[in-house]
Amino acid sequence: MNETVKLNTTKTKVTKEGNVWVIDLPRFSGDSGTHHHTLGLLTPYFAGLTEGKLMATRCVNDNCPISRGKGELWLPPRADCPDCHQPMVWEEIKNPAGEIFSYTFVERGGMGLEIECPYYQIDVLLPGVCTIVKSYLSTRNRKIRIGDKVKAKFRTGLDATNTCLDLYWELGG
Amino acid sequence: MIKFGKGNLRIPKWTRPVYAVAGGMTDFRKKYPEKKLEELTMMAFRMMLEENDLKMDPLEIKSLINFACYGEFADHFQDQLLCEAKVHDYLGLDLLFNIGVKTGGATGGSTILSAASMVASGMADCCLALGWERMDEVITWTGNYYISTAACKDFETRLARNYASYYAPMARRFQEMYGVDERVRAEIAVKNRGYACNSPFSQQPGKHTIEEVLAGEIVSDPLRFLECCAMSVGSAAMLLCTEELAYKLTDKPVKLYTAGGSHTLRTGDRRPMEIPLLPHETAGDYEKLYKDMEKQKGRWPGFESFGATRFAAWLCYRMAGINNPIEDLDLIETHDAFTISDLQTYGDVGLTLYGDEQEYVRSGDCYLKNPKTGKQGKCPSNLSGGLLGSMHAVGATGIFSATEIMWQLQGKYDKFHGDPKMWQRFGKKKPADWESLQIQNNPKKGCYVSHAGVGSHVTVGVLEKAW
Repeated sequence: MNETVKLNTTKTKVTKEGNVWVIDLPRFSGDSGTHHHTLGLLTPYFAGLTEGKLMATRCVNDNCPISRGKGELWLPPRADCPDCHQPMVWEEIKNPAGEIFSYTFVERGGMGLEIECPYYQIDVLLPGVCTIVKSYLSTRNRKIRIGDKVKAKFRTGLDATNTCLDLYWELGG
Repeated sequence: MIKFGKGNLRIPKWTRPVYAVAGGMTDFRKKYPEKKLEELTMMAFRMMLEENDLKMDPLEIKSLINFACYGEFADHFQDQLLCEAKVHDYLGLDLLFNIGVKTGGATGGSTILSAASMVASGMADCCLALGWERMDEVITWTGNYYISTAACKDFETRLARNYASYYAPMARRFQEMYGVDERVRAEIAVKNRGYACNSPFSQQPGKHTIEEVLAGEIVSDPLRFLECCAMSVGSAAMLLCTEELAYKLTDKPVKLYTAGGSHTLRTGDRRPMEIPLLPHETAGDYEKLYKDMEKQKGRWPGFESFGATRFAAWLCYRMAGINNPIEDLDLIETHDAFTISDLQTYGDVGLTLYGDEQEYVRSGDCYLKNPKTGKQGKCPSNLSGGLLGSMHAVGATGIFSATEIMWQLQGKYDKFHGDPKMWQRFGKKKPADWESLQIQNNPKKGCYVSHAGVGSHVTVGVLEKAW
């Protein structure tokens, strides 16, 4: 078993509608069986991954009953604040590093899984982020523990899949 | 942080009381090629009308029905939209109105909640709640993929395409936070699959040992095969009605209360909040827990607890006058899709304090016969065999759980589980070592939990003996 987890997927086709990415999700064979799924206002997140950037959103509305204009970051991002319903603003998290909040070693995935089993699915706690990010670890031959330090890695350029799989993590501070 | 507003915590106040009078179900199987789906729903419907000792002719009872609520989790499994219309027509209930209910794994419980609301509001005097799932048209791993599409397709589904992998990190976190011995999780699988041996409806009964569970293959670490429920085919039905009708129909009417809660589909999006306290709890009960959580960067409900279950219980206990669940409830059916969800639920519904769930299982109070004392446990759980042992035909599950509680309160466990003819009906032979799991000492109140996703929707129901 290789130490590094590999993907067994092909690049997801993207169609640009203005600033928005619409991705192809084939359900059954051929073009007629493909869903054209918009990433809508979250396009900067997915496009950001392919450029090696982790983009999050923050509420800056002074009248928000929770954020009071100084909201924590959301990851996955949201275009609109759930507390005041106003648009959130984008912010890049530079050199993203955090720790493992929880994890599972996936021995069997469901049909169509694009990650080679087995692998660690991890939940990452990041400073300044109010949510906990679900992702996966590149390493699979080591025992890991809650609290282990991890840093973000990206599939960019030709390696990019144009999906959430473009974010992954490796062990180390 | 979630903060509640004035109206958010209103306790449901029904305009008139709601009663459960009858239930029915099929047996549950991995594959059921002998019958089409509509034919299976007819089996549950007929058992409900014909075998609950009701004081009217079955067709006369049918003529009292004036609304139907149907539960089905996923159209994908049968590749059939609007299955409700086919079932409704097949049961011969046209032109009455019906609605389909979909709240993931909680679909069955939500179907009862919807039907109860119809009766409580006056929309109906007599309402059918019927659910089903047919998960045998595709292979298990395709089924796993279909179920996993209940996770977020943009940020989660592609990370496993297997729902056990969304529960497993909760199991891991719960285990480390509270120092859970995995033998306790295994004990839950042994208990519930063991109880399933006494039910003719059960899909995967088995007399297992803790060692056997722990030696099993891992699906998603730390969850092993025998800790996960299976895919099922089958149907369950319950008849709800007004008080006046209930006493006309049966000598053993059961009063129903139910409420629900929801929480985000993505576990990681759960923002911390203060624990909503059940009637018997005080803030002081959790001072130590909050401090312990801080040490481990924990939060409530975090990955350890189901906020939606706690919220549903918070509402439902107040509707039903449950002041202390361990004293007031005689039995419970939890949504044990995985051993970990059973364990987590004991804290959520207040049978024990959060953090003490493992000790609660070890106390033996969740057994019909407490292994420690040899006497009846204080609140036996999943005497039906639960999801681990009996079934998870998703749209039927909450209705199955509620029906099993109702039959227990009516003293009918043996009637439905002990009659050799019932076993024969499903092509089975009643085991020579069959044991009655009828709860003794005049049980008055039972609870069921119907639960979806990783806690995205949950209903809690309390059934109360009314004669």
